[in-house]
Amino acid sequence: MALTAVAPPPRTPRRVGVRRLLGLSWILPAVVVLGVFVYLPLVQNLGFSTLEWDIYSGSQVFIGADNYAKLVGDPIFWSSLGNNVLYAVISLAFQVFGAIVLAAVIESIRSDRWRRGLRAIYFVPSAISLTVAGLLFYFIYEPNLGMLNYVLDHVGLGAWAQPWLGQESTAMTAIIVMSQWQGFGYSTLLFAVAIQRVPSELYEAAAIDGIGPVRRFFTITLPLVREMTGLMIIVTISGAFQVFNEVMVMTSGGPNNSTQVLGTWLYRNGFVRNDFGYAAAIATVIFVVTLGIALVQLWINRRRRVEW
Amino acid sequence: MHAQRFTAAAALAAASALTMAGCAGGSAAPAADVTAEPEYSGTLSILTKFGGDPLGPYFENLAAAYEEEHPDVTVELIQETDQSVKDKTKTLTASGALPDIYFTWTGNWAQNFIDGGLAADLTDVIGPDTEWGATFGEASLSAFEVDGKYYGIPLYNNGKFMGYNTAIFEEVGIEVPTTFEELIASCEPLRAAGYEPIAFGNKDGWPALHYLQQLFAYNVPSDVLHDDFSPSTATLDDPGYITSLEQFKTLVDECTDTGTGTNGVLYTTAQEALAGGRAAMYYQEILEFDTVTAEGNTLTPENFGIFALPVPEGAAGEPGAIEGSPEGYLINAKSPRAALAVDFMKFATTLENATTLSSPPYGQPSTVVGAVTPETSSVAVFEGITKVNEASDLVIWLDTVTVPEVADAWLAGGEALISGGSTPEEVLESVRNASDAAK
Repeated sequence: MALTAVAPPPRTPRRVGVRRLLGLSWILPAVVVLGVFVYLPLVQNLGFSTLEWDIYSGSQVFIGADNYAKLVGDPIFWSSLGNNVLYAVISLAFQVFGAIVLAAVIESIRSDRWRRGLRAIYFVPSAISLTVAGLLFYFIYEPNLGMLNYVLDHVGLGAWAQPWLGQESTAMTAIIVMSQWQGFGYSTLLFAVAIQRVPSELYEAAAIDGIGPVRRFFTITLPLVREMTGLMIIVTISGAFQVFNEVMVMTSGGPNNSTQVLGTWLYRNGFVRNDFGYAAAIATVIFVVTLGIALVQLWINRRRRVEW
Repeated sequence: MHAQRFTAAAALAAASALTMAGCAGGSAAPAADVTAEPEYSGTLSILTKFGGDPLGPYFENLAAAYEEEHPDVTVELIQETDQSVKDKTKTLTASGALPDIYFTWTGNWAQNFIDGGLAADLTDVIGPDTEWGATFGEASLSAFEVDGKYYGIPLYNNGKFMGYNTAIFEEVGIEVPTTFEELIASCEPLRAAGYEPIAFGNKDGWPALHYLQQLFAYNVPSDVLHDDFSPSTATLDDPGYITSLEQFKTLVDECTDTGTGTNGVLYTTAQEALAGGRAAMYYQEILEFDTVTAEGNTLTPENFGIFALPVPEGAAGEPGAIEGSPEGYLINAKSPRAALAVDFMKFATTLENATTLSSPPYGQPSTVVGAVTPETSSVAVFEGITKVNEASDLVIWLDTVTVPEVADAWLAGGEALISGGSTPEEVLESVRNASDAAK
């Protein structure tokens, strides 16, 4: 039986308009949800940051940019920002550059079983929620009963034992170490997937030409996972400026505000000091910083797409 | 272009509708009539601080019994812990969703709700001259009195004491110290015998404030101390503050095993050190007495003793002061079921229910007269509450008596003092700055 092609109806302006409206109606729910739950709160937050807001009486007094002026003179805001930057730098080193290297090493292993096994081993910490991991490490770091000091004591390094989370000099680093442990495997897995997409012919040709594994990594792997690297840099830096859970669980920003990050300082001002206007100003800073980083990164990566 | 306009218009319409709905929800409700005859129907919401074991079942049983008496009433419990109730209360307040009955501390915490018009004036039902009010100790009622009006329903009383293991004291040959200096001196022999002299965990910051407030009460003249709680009258220049901070630092360095690392230890870990027989002493609230001596612990009620933190020699403040205050409940001034809420709280504070609250496993010494007796409560709880009732001055917790900015500065200062990050002078300076900024 012969099939007869049905001619499409003529594209009249009216029909095109209807089709466009129909198409828009499909995306409308997502647009409304995004608008209400993402963009509207952003705008509202900007408004709140210009208020002195008493949550008890409900009074809201417009004070213009006073909360932003207060930020400039708040030493804990700056130390919090510094902690976020430290977090971002260390996370970049471990979760982006360290993870690429590890992924490349894992993917270069010939044994399929070992490759899969190692990927799983590195990924397991990422399957644990950050809050649970924070609690786990809180007990590892506990000065009297914690595993870390216990191990140090028993391998003859008792002098290195510290109240890791209890003193200003070590608390922030201890939290960041936990965070790297938790997030490292996830980044490694993503890079491993990106490396798997690189055509094996390129590596084979390079090997025939006598190029060693280190040079292959720099001349083949790195350029061809550039997109994933860009994405991971954005995600890692943005994540570093949104840190909250692990700090709350492990130190709540203490001791003496030494582990405050922007997120916990925001929380402390809102929920402890009742200064919700100032907390909204800090939230705006976090938004601007993360948006700025994302835009810069996207701009840098805009023409570097590699096709093969 | 049309598509963009259409999308934007749709989003704006939806957003506006939701915003307007939110505004409508926030409109002022009529003031609660707490004297009205309760209508026994509907849902009564209650925010408690009794989340988890062993306290959780208390309100659950209470709610079940009340629902049995009044089948058309449903009691909806929101049970939080000591730490989480702070965030929960503020979130519910900011979103205009406070329950009908909600937990409160005394001091600045309750004052905020009273000033904000969120706490119903209960004078006509719980004032000292009323039938219900007469069932409470007058000092407990006064803790929630502002300008002659009574706002709170005090549920239980509380105070801070040094709990100690009498068997360890006997083994080491130590008497209960009568001065702060004797307390410090007792630490060395206890440590030599293999025990942590005083278990202390300050991860949350507030345990340090409890020591500090008691020492302030001893070292700073009472009128000066009370003036210093309010930023508008505070000077914070009494030498007793520096003395107290130095004494506290000495205690941390000499008597705890964790020393400068105490900020990394949970208060519950310290509590367990006493309960497990590893530590000789632990500074604790009456509310914790039955927990440290609960069944299964090494520390038994027979081996558990308490004493007030000993007064330092030559202290210029009030030697008979004890840190503590009642904790209780407020009724939402905008609740349409305020009369029912009052009725429920009357039910919660009957002598029978108050006695249950005061007895193990709950061990929360009720403010209802006659509920705490040697027969119904544990020996330590009875002794503690007797000392609280006999105290010459009851000083409210430092983290709730003053404004949050100042309390937060004390909290950070206490941590810095423990870790060695700040000197007593630097701590006091930072608190003074916070107080000046809050004026």
